Amino acid sequence: MDNQFVQVGIRPIPAPQAKKQKWYQGKPLVSMAVLGVIVISCLLCDLFIPKDPTYMDLYHANLAPCAEFWFGTDTMGRDIFSMIFYGGRISLFIGFFATVISTAIAVVFGAVSGLMPKWLDDVLMRLSEIILSIPNLLLIIFVQAILGKANVLSISLVIGITGWATIAKVVRTEVRQIRSAEYVVASRCMGAGFFHILWKHLTPNFVSSIMFMVVMNIRGAIGAESTLSFMGIGLPLEIISWGSMLSLSEKALLSGSWWLILIPGVFLVVTLLCVTNIGNYLRKCGNRKVSNL
Amino acid sequence: MSEILLDVQGLTHHFRLSKSAVIKAVDDVSFQIHEGEIFGLVGESGSGKSTVARCVMNVHKPSAGSIYYQGINTCDPAQFRKNRKLLQTSRQFIFQDSTSSLNQRMRVADIIAEPMQINHVKTPRGSDREEAAFQLHYVGLDRSYLDKYPSELSGGMRQRVTIARALSMEPRLLVADEPIASLDVSIQAQIINLFAHCNREHGCSILFIAHDLAVVKYLCHRVGVMYQGKLVEVAPTRELFENPLHPYTKSLLDAIPIPDPRLERARVWHEFDPEQFDRNGTMVEVKPGHLVLKGEKA
Repeated sequence: MDNQFVQVGIRPIPAPQAKKQKWYQGKPLVSMAVLGVIVISCLLCDLFIPKDPTYMDLYHANLAPCAEFWFGTDTMGRDIFSMIFYGGRISLFIGFFATVISTAIAVVFGAVSGLMPKWLDDVLMRLSEIILSIPNLLLIIFVQAILGKANVLSISLVIGITGWATIAKVVRTEVRQIRSAEYVVASRCMGAGFFHILWKHLTPNFVSSIMFMVVMNIRGAIGAESTLSFMGIGLPLEIISWGSMLSLSEKALLSGSWWLILIPGVFLVVTLLCVTNIGNYLRKCGNRKVSNL
Repeated sequence: MSEILLDVQGLTHHFRLSKSAVIKAVDDVSFQIHEGEIFGLVGESGSGKSTVARCVMNVHKPSAGSIYYQGINTCDPAQFRKNRKLLQTSRQFIFQDSTSSLNQRMRVADIIAEPMQINHVKTPRGSDREEAAFQLHYVGLDRSYLDKYPSELSGGMRQRVTIARALSMEPRLLVADEPIASLDVSIQAQIINLFAHCNREHGCSILFIAHDLAVVKYLCHRVGVMYQGKLVEVAPTRELFENPLHPYTKSLLDAIPIPDPRLERARVWHEFDPEQFDRNGTMVEVKPGHLVLKGEKA
């Protein structure tokens, strides 16, 4: 008779089906795919571009998009379809290389500032604030003037050595928090040097918080190159990049050839958008807790 | 008695808070640790035990006094630099809080192999990973823990990993800063037996810092009692527990609970009056090996 009560108490509750996460769920798939296509086709552009991007075909100058010239030609008769991918290589390289330079400077600078005694930390941080307080573009133009004539390497160097201050500040703050952790003290007791501690203990702990900024730095560097070239102080016209293509657009505005602005602009915007989206995803990942408690 | 491994003489460490406020964390502390000995350092919270340990390990630079390890003055930068490798491999530190003394982002195998990588030690058992597995086995964990992260382990396991990391260098002096304070009692017993085993099998000396007197009584050969940064009494363990001389030591020993409620209730507790404490006393050897801080008041 009292079986009923017992039964109620031990009624089996079906275990909630754990939602199976597919590997692609929650990841910025579209951005990754679009960026991947753009990067791969820029790298492999020699295989499929129909024309020599540097060849000036004056018979076919300033043509609107048609069957032969898919994206049209510019005022000097160069094929824009070929130029987009050929120039994209340069733009992406500048974005990547400038970011590598600025991240390397930022990590070492920030870690030194974070680990050193207070007075040196103050000096280094004031130094980075001085650099931050100068408008970035002004600084780039200034350094560029010292370095002389612009080429791809010098322009990435210039963008790289002017864009590290914000990352360095984040690194320094993170290092300040970690440096008195007991595993760093333990490592010191065992005789670890500066770079061992930086690489083994500090970097894994702050990499998630600077990942977003690093990816945003790629975006910033590509944008900076375009801005400089657009203003005519970046890459010269004969070196094709998205920025130098955009620098032709002032003439294009007068002649009404929309494809000269629109096509490199769309590629630039789409690339930056994808990079931003991926950076945003990385930021969200970094905010997740590591502990299982 | 065997030869002296660590000789701490007049160790003083002050923390300067502002221009006028100075905390005397450690004030003129002297003691010796012999080869193969477990020296216990007890005292209440804030009595300067951890600061002594950190000075011994060169984490803090003492304000005054000197520390000789195998005859090397470790407080002297020139001598420290000259013997750097020896000092960094043969002295190892175990922290109280195992959670923060292990890097959350490193696997157990990498954590244990870290000192070997830093000092470029040739591992006797082939690879670093094999060495890590051996050390893990020694502290009572099996190979399956090699690829785990510290957050996946329990407190006792983490403390074993820190001990394995310290032992991987085969140290002659282990400085253990309250290694069992954050563990529950059954795990404490395992860890203490591990320390006793290390000492017996490898003859490594241990500076064992604790506030639990029962543990100290079980493990240590000699005990020093600290109070407000001063060392008030040093004696062999049995001598100290049977014949405490300093009033603070008496009061500390009285605080050990007796596992018999009738005796416990009947007991009189000699409370120590901080007013009675004379900081300016000198250590007097009452019996061979038994030193007491003698002041004018006490």
